[in-house]
Amino acid sequence: MNFIAFLSFSVLVIIILTLVFGVVAYFLYKMRERQRRKGSDVITYEELREEEGRKYLFIDEVNLK
Amino acid sequence: MVRILIFLLLGAAIGIWYVWSFYDIQFVYDSFQNMFFKFSIIIVAFFTFLVIFRYIAFIFFSIIKTAQKTASFNLVNKNFKPRVTIILPAYNEEVTIATSIKSLVHQTYKNLEIIIMDDGSKDNTYKIAKKFEGNFNGKTIKVLTKKNGGKSRALNFAIERSSGEFIMCVDADSKLEPDAVALMVKYFQDPEISAVAGSVFVSNRDNILTKLQALEYIEGLNMVRNGQAFLKLVNIIPGPIGMFRKSDILEVGGYAHDTFAEDADLTLKLIQKNRKIDFEPEAVAYTEAPDELLDLLKQRYRWTRGILQAIRKHSHHLFSFKNFNFTFVLWYMLFEAIFWPFMDLFATMLMIYISVSQGVNTLLIFWWSLFLVVDIAGALYCILITNETKSLAFYAFFYRLYFIAIINMAKIFATIEEWFQLEMSWGKLDRKGGI
Repeated sequence: MNFIAFLSFSVLVIIILTLVFGVVAYFLYKMRERQRRKGSDVITYEELREEEGRKYLFIDEVNLK
Repeated sequence: MVRILIFLLLGAAIGIWYVWSFYDIQFVYDSFQNMFFKFSIIIVAFFTFLVIFRYIAFIFFSIIKTAQKTASFNLVNKNFKPRVTIILPAYNEEVTIATSIKSLVHQTYKNLEIIIMDDGSKDNTYKIAKKFEGNFNGKTIKVLTKKNGGKSRALNFAIERSSGEFIMCVDADSKLEPDAVALMVKYFQDPEISAVAGSVFVSNRDNILTKLQALEYIEGLNMVRNGQAFLKLVNIIPGPIGMFRKSDILEVGGYAHDTFAEDADLTLKLIQKNRKIDFEPEAVAYTEAPDELLDLLKQRYRWTRGILQAIRKHSHHLFSFKNFNFTFVLWYMLFEAIFWPFMDLFATMLMIYISVSQGVNTLLIFWWSLFLVVDIAGALYCILITNETKSLAFYAFFYRLYFIAIINMAKIFATIEEWFQLEMSWGKLDRKGGI
């Protein structure tokens, strides 16, 4: 195998690995964002009160179960 | 004389290499009988030519622009000192906000108003900014706050309350060089200039990823903008440093809320009005680049979808050549955002197929080296004119092989999701205070 063919083979291997790595990284990113979004679903009493525009919030016992 | 000789020899060597590479493409083309593969090779060769041509054209335009700038330096009217308002929108930026404000306070330009626009932060951003309110060396600092509504609304809110004739928008995770405002405001003596972009450099070069981004910023963004400025058609004013004529921003309706790339959208609206957009390479802002791969993908995903949303808004101009400059810019942006990433992937798959079906072929190394040569030449040119660290040139070897390949994957997925209109959020990055 001559030098240029060896370089071609090396570049080919690196390209394939990088492509696979790129795809995996992208799906990891999407998974992380999904998990973060789930985590940010928590809302404080004050934030909810501001969102509802009311001074007090009344929570039914049923909703807490 | 010796330098010229070296450059000529280098140019000749590159030329021979290119001719040899295209000869190799011809050889592979002849070896295929299937029309699909023959056609694919033609398409890949054409796009490769376009990308390399674009690259060389930008280096060439950039050299002319730098020469033009040096020649016109003495024509500047030194009494031109209009009121400038710097707007710094911030949302949960407690880590970087103080450094950023200090860099604004230390600007050498005197006739300055600084507005810190807190966009309903949930952390201490507003409290920290409030400490800077008042007058500093003749500069007025105001701190405003409003309910969270996004960057574009925050910017419009501050623009309405500004007193400056010119508006400079900066990001809360950036730091300006002291002469940035003074260097940029000079351009507005030309009444046709609507906006001026500045250079953005990466401040946190802690690992290979941020070093590759440092190279990308000087080569892929700053040099490209310098080349575009030769035509006065810079297509994106960067978030960390951009100055606008206030009357023109108001005329086009300010920042839009319906894209995730409000800076690209505003620049497009100005180009549509036949306004000129320039670039000042010496007005520098340092920004904190993502230092983790997933954060980098998040940033590029948002940029790509934002740019596509901006293009989509103006898509009816893609085939109307009434305003040639505008149509040209739209096609250029489409090429960068969609065509090239997809072509790059297609070409890579074709190379893999050729290698598997015919044995490892030398075409692959020629094809890759075509880009490597321009990457190294571009990196060396940018390092020389910006006095950057010379070691950055070393990263040009990995730039296309790893960095661009992975970024292109993010662009491809972002394009597919934008095509199907999948829901997306702003995707704010966590700051680590690396400015």
